[in-house]
Amino acid sequence: MSPRLRRKLGEWLTAYVFLSPYLFVFGTFTVFAVGFAFYLSFTKYNLFSPPKWIGFANYTRLLQDEDFIKHALPNTLKYVAVVVPVQTVISLIVAFALDQEIKFRRLFRTLFYVPSVTSSVVISLIFMWMFNKVGAVNSLLKMLGLPSHIDWLNNIHTALPTIMAVNIWSTIGTMMIIFLAALQDIPVTYYEAAMIDGANRFQIFRYITVPLLRPVIFFVVTMGLIGCFQVFDQIYVMTAGGPLGSTLTIAYLIYKNAFQSTTPRMGYASAMAFVLAVMIFVATMLQRRIIETEPYE
Amino acid sequence: MAVAARRLPRYREEVIWWDRIKIPLFYAVLIGWTIVCITPFWLSLVYSLMPKEHVFDMPPKLWPHPFSLDNYRVVVTTFELFPRWLLNSTLIAVVVTIVRTIFCAMGGYAFARLRFPGRNLLFILMLASMMIPPQVTLVPNYLIIAKVFHLLDNLLAVILPGITTAFGVFMMTQFYKSIPVELEEAALIDGANRFQIFFRIILPISRAALITLALFTFQGSWNEFMWPLIVLQTPENFTLPLGLKWFQSEYYTLYSIVLAGSLFNSLPIIIIFFVFQRYFIRSIAVTGLKGV
Amino acid sequence: MSERKFLTLVTLLILASLLATACATPTPQVVKETVVVTKEVPVEVTKMVTKVVTKEVEKVVTKEVEKPRIEVRLSGWTASPEEENLLRASLYEFSLQNPDIIVKYEPITADYWPKIKTMVASGTEPDIYYMDIFQFPFFAQQEVLLPLDDFMSKSGVKKEDFIESLINAFTYNGKVYGIPKDFNTLALFYNKKMFDEAGLDYPTDDWTWDDLKAAAKALSKPEENIYGFGVPPDAGRFPIFVFQNGGRIMTEDFSDTMLDSPEAIEAAEFYTSFRKEGIGAIPSDVGVDWQGTGFGQGSLAMVLEGGWLVPYLKNQFPDVEFDAVTPPAGPKGEGNLVFTVAYVISKNCKNPEAAWKVIEYLTGLENQTKVLHSGFALPTRKALLDDPYLKENTVAAAIFRGAEFATPFMWGLYGSDVNEEMRKALERIYLEDVSPEEAMKDAAKKLREIFKGG
Repeated sequence: MSPRLRRKLGEWLTAYVFLSPYLFVFGTFTVFAVGFAFYLSFTKYNLFSPPKWIGFANYTRLLQDEDFIKHALPNTLKYVAVVVPVQTVISLIVAFALDQEIKFRRLFRTLFYVPSVTSSVVISLIFMWMFNKVGAVNSLLKMLGLPSHIDWLNNIHTALPTIMAVNIWSTIGTMMIIFLAALQDIPVTYYEAAMIDGANRFQIFRYITVPLLRPVIFFVVTMGLIGCFQVFDQIYVMTAGGPLGSTLTIAYLIYKNAFQSTTPRMGYASAMAFVLAVMIFVATMLQRRIIETEPYE
Repeated sequence: MAVAARRLPRYREEVIWWDRIKIPLFYAVLIGWTIVCITPFWLSLVYSLMPKEHVFDMPPKLWPHPFSLDNYRVVVTTFELFPRWLLNSTLIAVVVTIVRTIFCAMGGYAFARLRFPGRNLLFILMLASMMIPPQVTLVPNYLIIAKVFHLLDNLLAVILPGITTAFGVFMMTQFYKSIPVELEEAALIDGANRFQIFFRIILPISRAALITLALFTFQGSWNEFMWPLIVLQTPENFTLPLGLKWFQSEYYTLYSIVLAGSLFNSLPIIIIFFVFQRYFIRSIAVTGLKGV
Repeated sequence: MSERKFLTLVTLLILASLLATACATPTPQVVKETVVVTKEVPVEVTKMVTKVVTKEVEKVVTKEVEKPRIEVRLSGWTASPEEENLLRASLYEFSLQNPDIIVKYEPITADYWPKIKTMVASGTEPDIYYMDIFQFPFFAQQEVLLPLDDFMSKSGVKKEDFIESLINAFTYNGKVYGIPKDFNTLALFYNKKMFDEAGLDYPTDDWTWDDLKAAAKALSKPEENIYGFGVPPDAGRFPIFVFQNGGRIMTEDFSDTMLDSPEAIEAAEFYTSFRKEGIGAIPSDVGVDWQGTGFGQGSLAMVLEGGWLVPYLKNQFPDVEFDAVTPPAGPKGEGNLVFTVAYVISKNCKNPEAAWKVIEYLTGLENQTKVLHSGFALPTRKALLDDPYLKENTVAAAIFRGAEFATPFMWGLYGSDVNEEMRKALERIYLEDVSPEEAMKDAAKKLREIFKGG
């Protein structure tokens, strides 16, 4: 065996050894679970009786499902279109700001992370309380002389934006921390060189920080996409998809069909899950082209 | 920048004016955002520290008055199993955090730096696996734990599927991609093998990323709800979030106690964050060079 | 710390934790009997009970050492910690009377139905579990429950011992599948102080729709955000108006909905008219997520709720003075909903006799009397209708009386969809100003599509 080949084989082996813990979980849980769910998407399955093969009927049913076409799909897309860019940009700017030599940096970091440690139940409770008809937000609006009789979470026009705001608020801390950690990995020398060249902070951010952070931005945006396309928790607690389907999202519809129906529709829920997964996949690949310009061999 | 402005007198007046308010404005924005961030948390803290009859007090109170620790007392003393739940949660979170952080770093390193057949495919599959909503994989995952591993009602049922996650491997992959390769190349030339490089160079220099992942893992595992709920059965094996749900009965909820319980539950995460926060300092270049 | 030391430390930590986890796992109980009894069913209700009980433990234990113990798993959703303790005390009592049976209590603290359904799907469900009447049709139709008739006749438990509407609700194809443990109906709760201030007489059982409306009008002060009557878009409240108007939600065999019948449409018109006229409100109008809170705060003078409201008010709003009567009668008389829960035995149960013994004890007269006196739930046995407790406790009595005219809260195999469409129809009337007729007809149309598609 040539030494080159041996080195190559060695690297293969090393890689698989490094990956073995992940492959274990992937092989034992993910492969079966996803495969099983995929199979179920072609069946009628109520959890108690054996699945019955019905071909593509679940997928064609989706096209006629008013809840899906009229509510869940547009709501989910709107949600993603607003929340992902906003949370990414704000958290990147906040992270950059907190990476500078500013006073009380540590204190700010901790306080900015507070939304992320607040339990989602508490977040939902507090926001429901703040946004109710006689709550803090309306009181504030009244003080400013603005319309103050909005029933934020029970109005078909304001419910989804309110949940978007809550979600942006609660995810920025986490994303900020990821960016902050990544910023630590950029060698100081790069900045020093730029400063000597007379670049201002904005230029440094635009031409040094952002390009170097590309892989991490890709990570954050991908996780943002997944999180937003699959948004469930806050909707479950705060509005249960209402009023009148104005906050119904695909993930919530999946849960409803799979577990909340008196007669579970697991097959149909699975079909919906795969349609959602394909949407996330396409969106991820698109943004990867834009963000991660350097191709991943 | 202020220095630059003084040195260059030809700047127009507005620009100097801007320079003067720039810094205060910057802090004003930071403080404003801080208020937005901590208000809900603060309010829940305040209301959890008042007797339960005051939970609907309006306008919002900014200080707990009348003060009472009663809600916390109820949370801690109602169930004699409370310490057990705390122990279970700690055990799961600590084991999962340590194991997963290391395993994910290993996986991420392989994806980011090593060449091997199937790398692209595996990476794409890993990404794709995160895109399947967890609602539909719950039942098959349960079947595996019940029928293959026979781990129902066992803490290992919570730990085992969590020893690595696609999220963690993906995150570490992206972090390692943004770390310059020069350090490793030097070590490779010196004849070090990949394992030595990983444990001696990569792990130390990716401290910020590791701490971040560990923090997320701890937090995620500590708060995890649906999976433990499904696989754990007897109260002795409950985790803290499962036990705390006991205070929300089927028909009504006493919010003060739920708030107290939730805050109690987030306490360890806040402490951990505060403690490990100091590792978020720019140290990589220095440490990295020392390592070589 | 050098890397090697660090690694060793990490490895040790992992090993130690894994070991600890393994140890923390309960091993099957084949231990000394005494330990088991006290461990399996701890009691912490009152000191009195504990004392009596400890004495007996010793007695029992010395007798029954050799007998093999049968384990029976019991699951239910969790009520308040106090109510929970009552159940544990009952189980403890049971273990004293039946030393050969261990009841392993496995409470489910949230998402009860997803968990139970997942467990049934994989055959790992508990031997005995709570069954809500709303979910019962699906479980019965899928044949995952054990018929109890044989056990009943063997141990002399008669159908007639229980309130008819309850035990009949858990009868499917002529067989009994569940023994009702408790129930609730809706009662008209009213705030005494608000009635006094408005100079109105308190409601009575003989009230009609007109009385309700007149009182709601007199009690409302919309400018202060105070309303006479709570009319949430809730499928657990609205149907009683359909019943009182002589209508039904579903046909007799649950194959079709009757939401678009004239009776139901009229009921929707009446129900939603309160809010339209500014004398009724939905919870979010008064800034709450549940009308029980609105009632406690004094922003709703009357609400239709069940017995669950009482402990909530006692805990959260101890100063509110309230009482309750049966809901008012409509043009076609009385009508009410009954919410009931039963114990069922899984078809996979290995020791159905033992499981039956547990159910027999828990739904027996002795234990049901205890439940009634605790004030947490209303028992299902007819014999308790004349219990003195009900004479003293007017709210419980009103709820008990309500059962007479009540229809089980159950709409067949697609109950959740019926609920959802009903709620949506009411929401459309409230939020989009759609006419009740259109809303109810659309709901019925949508439901028919769902029934067809499965």
